[in-house]
Amino acid sequence: MRVFNLLSAAFLFVAVTSCTLDKTDYEAEISTEVTEYYEFKEAVAINSGNYKISIEALNGTFYKGYNEIRLKINNTQTNESLNNVEVYFLPIKTNLNGNKTSCPHQYNLIYQNDKNYYSGYAVFTAESNPSDEWQLYVYFTDSAEKVSINTTIQVKQQSNKNLNMTSFVGSDNSEYIISLVAPQKPKVAENELVAGIYRYVEPTNSSETFPDPSQFTFEEVSGYTLQLDPRMPEPSMGNHSSPNNKDLVQLNDKFYHGVVNYTMTGNWTLNFIMLNENGKIIKGTEVSKDFTPGVEGAKSELFIDILF
Amino acid sequence: MRYLTLLMLFCGIIANAQITETDSVSTVLDEIKVEVAVKKKIETDMKMAVSVDEFLASSDQISFIKRGAYAWEPLLNNMSTERSTLTIDGMHVFGACTDKMDPITSYVESNNLSSIDIKSGQEGSMHGSTVAGSIDLKRKSTPFGLDKKWNGAYQSGFEFNNKQFFNMGNASYSGTKFVADASISYRKAENYSDGNNTEIKHSQYKKFNTSLGMAYKTSELSSVRVDAIFDVAKDVGFPALPMDLWLSRALITSAAYKQLFENGLVRVWDTKVYFNAVEHYMDDTTRPENLVHMDMPGWSTTYGLVSTANLQNNNLSSEIQLNAYTNESIAEMRMYPQDRSKRTMFAYSWPEVTTAYAGLSINNSLGISERSRLNFGGSLGYNYNHSKYVEFNWIFHPGAPQEKSRILPSLHVGYQLTINKFNFSVGGGYGHRAPSVSEGYGYYIYNSFDRYDYIGNPDLKNEISYEVNASAGFKAEKMSIQVKVNYFYIDNYIIGKILSLGSPMNYQSVGVKGYTSLDYATLFNFSLNASYQISDHLHWKGLATYARVMDYNQNNLPFIRPFSYQTSLHYHYKDFHFQTSVNGDFAQINYSPEYGEDETSAYTIWNISADYSFYIKNVKTTFQVGAENLLNEYYSTYADWGNIPRMGRNIFTSLKINF
Repeated sequence: MRVFNLLSAAFLFVAVTSCTLDKTDYEAEISTEVTEYYEFKEAVAINSGNYKISIEALNGTFYKGYNEIRLKINNTQTNESLNNVEVYFLPIKTNLNGNKTSCPHQYNLIYQNDKNYYSGYAVFTAESNPSDEWQLYVYFTDSAEKVSINTTIQVKQQSNKNLNMTSFVGSDNSEYIISLVAPQKPKVAENELVAGIYRYVEPTNSSETFPDPSQFTFEEVSGYTLQLDPRMPEPSMGNHSSPNNKDLVQLNDKFYHGVVNYTMTGNWTLNFIMLNENGKIIKGTEVSKDFTPGVEGAKSELFIDILF
Repeated sequence: MRYLTLLMLFCGIIANAQITETDSVSTVLDEIKVEVAVKKKIETDMKMAVSVDEFLASSDQISFIKRGAYAWEPLLNNMSTERSTLTIDGMHVFGACTDKMDPITSYVESNNLSSIDIKSGQEGSMHGSTVAGSIDLKRKSTPFGLDKKWNGAYQSGFEFNNKQFFNMGNASYSGTKFVADASISYRKAENYSDGNNTEIKHSQYKKFNTSLGMAYKTSELSSVRVDAIFDVAKDVGFPALPMDLWLSRALITSAAYKQLFENGLVRVWDTKVYFNAVEHYMDDTTRPENLVHMDMPGWSTTYGLVSTANLQNNNLSSEIQLNAYTNESIAEMRMYPQDRSKRTMFAYSWPEVTTAYAGLSINNSLGISERSRLNFGGSLGYNYNHSKYVEFNWIFHPGAPQEKSRILPSLHVGYQLTINKFNFSVGGGYGHRAPSVSEGYGYYIYNSFDRYDYIGNPDLKNEISYEVNASAGFKAEKMSIQVKVNYFYIDNYIIGKILSLGSPMNYQSVGVKGYTSLDYATLFNFSLNASYQISDHLHWKGLATYARVMDYNQNNLPFIRPFSYQTSLHYHYKDFHFQTSVNGDFAQINYSPEYGEDETSAYTIWNISADYSFYIKNVKTTFQVGAENLLNEYYSTYADWGNIPRMGRNIFTSLKINF
């Protein structure tokens, strides 16, 4: 019997000291450094007269790029929420010279009956910094009382590169913004790629009183196509790409949906060619499909870098 | 330090073993007969201290893919290891390297094996489904109650070409109630030189192996046995690959219970549970030419059960075996950008793939008459695969199932006839095999032979083999001649084909290949063995093999041995033995450029050796000296990965002491 004890001791010894190099915890690998945003929290609260306006965003923070927002209005006198009225929402950025611009946003917020909030979005094109200040303007009418308020907000850096955005001027001289919406947390897999494409609508008349929403109109473009060619830019990856990707086309939710396959974690460049509804190239160039080890991969004129 | 502790533990066990020694007289079991039924010495005609690879190479059914000096991949009937079952005493062990740098044969050592049992085609389905056949490595297992209680051997040797120095020791104790076998070995080799005396960089290796087996007789007719093998290879160079092995380790353990029956239908029932864990860590930091540093660790863990019953009824003897195992294979790729502070890039090359198998096999041997015998049998297996991170597989095969079950049937029949000095046999077989982990679930596995990244396909069909075989022989007092042929028609033959999608991930590669099924492939193998006793002291042997393998378009498939031959003369006088052999391959004219092959020229090498045995008291000592590739021919074979030249002249010496 002693023999067997010894033997088991020997086995145990080997088993315990057995793993020299730890296995990669894959789930941790793809989640630790990619922040996932899943909870709406109050990002800013404004008290004005009898009203408290609370604007919620994911993680309670406004980030550069696409932000879904939820707005709640509470009457502090009656302690009741103000439901189903017209609410307007306008973000304005002011730079050092006093120039005022906006960003893609939902001007007329939509009241969600079952959830008691007004929903919309804003695609902030810059982070708040000493030279760029963001302000939110909110208007609504409560039983003939017109309420107009504004507040300064902080737009933070988006650390999750999978939600990056880019802005550019297209061949039609329009100003465009493409912002990634999903996946927040990509996998080495087929991922549904969702992006919003927005265009600045040039005002036809000059500004009356500030803020004049007609000067700050953006629209979600319709019927465009975003051709996709994802590649790994690292020189050692030699312009590596993946199979079975699908170009992004618009679905009913106004967003553009496609498929991107990531074959491994790391740096990826989403190379795009944007076509308008007539198939005309608005921006973007074909990239080489050659495998070029040791050479940093060339990017399209229109691209977004991601990392996971 | 770790070795030392282990060693001490083993010593402790051996010391302990002495205490259990008893003097009681006991009947010697039939078991001895069962166990020594087939026993080949692990040494070749030329060399008495051989590696497992060298020993296997002496079989006419085995050829090798060589990626360097170490861990050759054995090909049975010119088919790669996916198509054969490789087992150790019937236990399934799966390598942890996606590049097949660690075939199972690399985790054993010649001094812990007693024989290697090679079965061709479906006859080898006893241990699980197969196409090519089975290679079962039989460990040493000393019978109970030998007259000589202690036996042992020590071997040491030096090979000059690659400065290989090895020390191997093994000992066994045979008591009436208790037996033990233990072995330990260490080999260390530096780079070898080819026939132009050019050093082949990255061809060094170090290997440590130890094993222990103990059996205890629980009753007159039953015993329990536990076995373990522990193997470590370190700093193993693979000159044909862009990376080397930093460390590989295997722990192979089993516990068995054996029951004999004096009468009745069932004669022997042997059941074994086993566990083995293999780790394999590659290293490319020794290769400055690499653009990117990449870790490629792999792990393979297997649990299994094998239970065998031997039945005897008049002239029918049968062997029934239940095999069940579950294996988990994980392999990772982790690449580091030039700027190491940046994030690594990560992917699984085996995305945690589980393979579970359960099967029942039966082999029957029916004596029809004194001259003829019918062998027949079959197996029915259930194979299940599960890929934990199936999203990796979806990239190339969207919507592929995460789980896959397969039924794997097998049948074989053979008829043997002996008429006077002539013997004949004919046989046939039918069997399925499931795709291997790499073929089914591999992800960007870099193959440096054709320089493609390989992608598995979970939806591959079973490979179905139809086989016929025949042999004829003549054996007289002074001479023998034996001819064997076999022909395989394999439906859904699995092989990598260039994919038009995707682009390579490994920077050395030129493209992506996906495992696909060819409509069919055909394989033909021929071998001729002859021997002649020229005089009492002089003995001649010859061997020739030929194979032809084609796909459905009559295109050649890769790694098929061209016509090869070996002829040897053996002379002994008293305690002196001299042997010389010439072997070689013809030019590989039927090569396959589609799979990265080029024509390999013919070569011939000449080997010579001499040994002398003497006794000091009861201790037999043998000293051997010899030379392989005496003429220092510069050559590489059809199966040398990347046309890496083989070893040039190698003078070897070895000493073996048996006590």
